[in-house]
Amino acid sequence: MIGAQLTGNLMQGLILGGIYGMATMGLSLIFGVLKVVNVGHGAFIMIGAFITLWIFTAFGLAPVIAIPVALIVGMAIGFVFFYLVMRRLIKAPELASLLATFAIGILLEEIAKLIFGSEFRGYNWAVGKIILPITVFPMSKIYAFIGSIAIALLLYIWFKKTRAGTAVRSVVEDSEGARVCGVNVGWVYALSFAIGIGLTVTSGVLLTMFIPVGINPYMGGGYTLKAFVIAVLGGLTSPYGAFFGGLIFGLIENGSYTLFALIPGVEAFAMTRFLSFLILLLILLIKPTGLLGAK
Amino acid sequence: MLKVNNLESGYGPMQVLWGASLEVKKGSITSLLGPNGVGKTTLLRTVFGSIEPWGGKITYGGEEITHLPTHKKVDLGLVLVPEGRHLFVGMSVHENLIMGAYLKKALEHIEESLKLVYSLFPILKARTNQRAGSLSGGEQQMLTIARALMTRPRLIMLDEPSQGLAPKLVSEVLETIKKMKSEMGLTILLVEQNVEASLNASDYVYIIHEGTIKAEGSSEKIKGSRDIREAYLGI
Ligand SMILES: Nc1ncnc2c1ncn2[C@@H]1O[C@H](COP(=O)(O)OP(=O)(O)OP(=O)(O)O)[C@@H](O)[C@H]1O
Ligand SMILES: [Mg+2]
Repeated sequence: MIGAQLTGNLMQGLILGGIYGMATMGLSLIFGVLKVVNVGHGAFIMIGAFITLWIFTAFGLAPVIAIPVALIVGMAIGFVFFYLVMRRLIKAPELASLLATFAIGILLEEIAKLIFGSEFRGYNWAVGKIILPITVFPMSKIYAFIGSIAIALLLYIWFKKTRAGTAVRSVVEDSEGARVCGVNVGWVYALSFAIGIGLTVTSGVLLTMFIPVGINPYMGGGYTLKAFVIAVLGGLTSPYGAFFGGLIFGLIENGSYTLFALIPGVEAFAMTRFLSFLILLLILLIKPTGLLGAK
Repeated sequence: MLKVNNLESGYGPMQVLWGASLEVKKGSITSLLGPNGVGKTTLLRTVFGSIEPWGGKITYGGEEITHLPTHKKVDLGLVLVPEGRHLFVGMSVHENLIMGAYLKKALEHIEESLKLVYSLFPILKARTNQRAGSLSGGEQQMLTIARALMTRPRLIMLDEPSQGLAPKLVSEVLETIKKMKSEMGLTILLVEQNVEASLNASDYVYIIHEGTIKAEGSSEKIKGSRDIREAYLGI
């Protein structure tokens, strides 16, 4: 009985994990290239969620349509913030860029609050479901999972096969090395930041396809924490490491939730949060370069 | 071919170069010598553009390039072999070389360039699929030079290319540099710790100290001047 419930929840966890992974790739990309931790990460997820809500409620269009919109809007926002703010901070002390991304996050949240108010919103995209003996998958979750994998794969191919992707990889490895090869490192910074933000906003679309409720200007905070844990799991600088980190995290989160719920008097949701902090702390203590990262 | 006039630069609030001037003649090996920490690396990195110049003027082939971004300098054939190698250690030897041919002009000649660097450094051919990080120090140094050659440079600035190498390898590296001049027609600006070896290899020498050029002359002149050697080179 518990076995079946656990299996069902782990299946849900795997799917959610794929989306978590995709939602962390942007964070890892930005850290890998610019060595900047985007503390405002969750606010960009929130933008993606509102884009989805808007496209669904105002035009009656399927949330999948929001994916390319979010990517384009996200990249545009990324370029704007890069040239307005981040470009000046690359050589500054780390604290400056931490504060800047923190401030950008708050700014976006407050703008969203001015426009949409602070109540929780949701939508209902009924496109059928798959009913298994142990669990139920709404098709929207399946589409979100497929979307995550497709985007992760596309990013992988872009990295490995294109000239721009190669330039980004070279800067991640050694920016001075890239410079002496003739790579326009300043442009790689701008492009990576824009793609990183674009991916993050897009992940907001996929997350609402999994959880179509609770859309609110401040919804991003929890995701920022999760993304930090996942990025560390995945080795910090590697977007595909982050993707696999997400899968692992989704399994741990849902698995542990099921188990904590069995213990009487335990607040299972709070415990999974505690567990994520614990994992983060342990990995940082034992293997600071991340579980899946290089030495 | 390269003229540096009154160059000033530094890091944050700390000024390192205080109006350094030098000239590298086409087809020459020009050395920049001086004790540790006097600004040799800073000068090369400022000329290349990794560090933005604070003042002064840099011209290359008659064109002013003082504030030209690094990728445009590489495109003009001005390249740096940086101190500390800066290889892509996670990539293979081959991938590192391909990165050297990143710019379009270099990419058009990639087959030729590969042939050239593999004939100059046969050991790299044997290691072509090995991770750059797993090469020995000498091999890594050769790969750094080879990667720079893949950009098809006309003027190559080398910052301590024999750093950390055994004496036998040091002379091998300097032989290679002489070959780059005589067989490939390259112009070379060299920073080298090994004073004897670099005096022997160079045509012209500048002595840098505390961020400015203190003496210059043909390598014979510097070799012959006891004052200069004692004051700045400690030999
Ligand atoms: N990235 C940096 N940030 C701050 N100061 C630096 C940096 N790099 C070098 N310096 C300082 O600038 C001065 C000149 O350094 P530079 O590396 O140019 O000397 P160098 O002549 O190349 O020395 P060496 O022979 O040891 O390579 C030194 O005082 C050094 O401490
Ligand atoms: Mg130096």
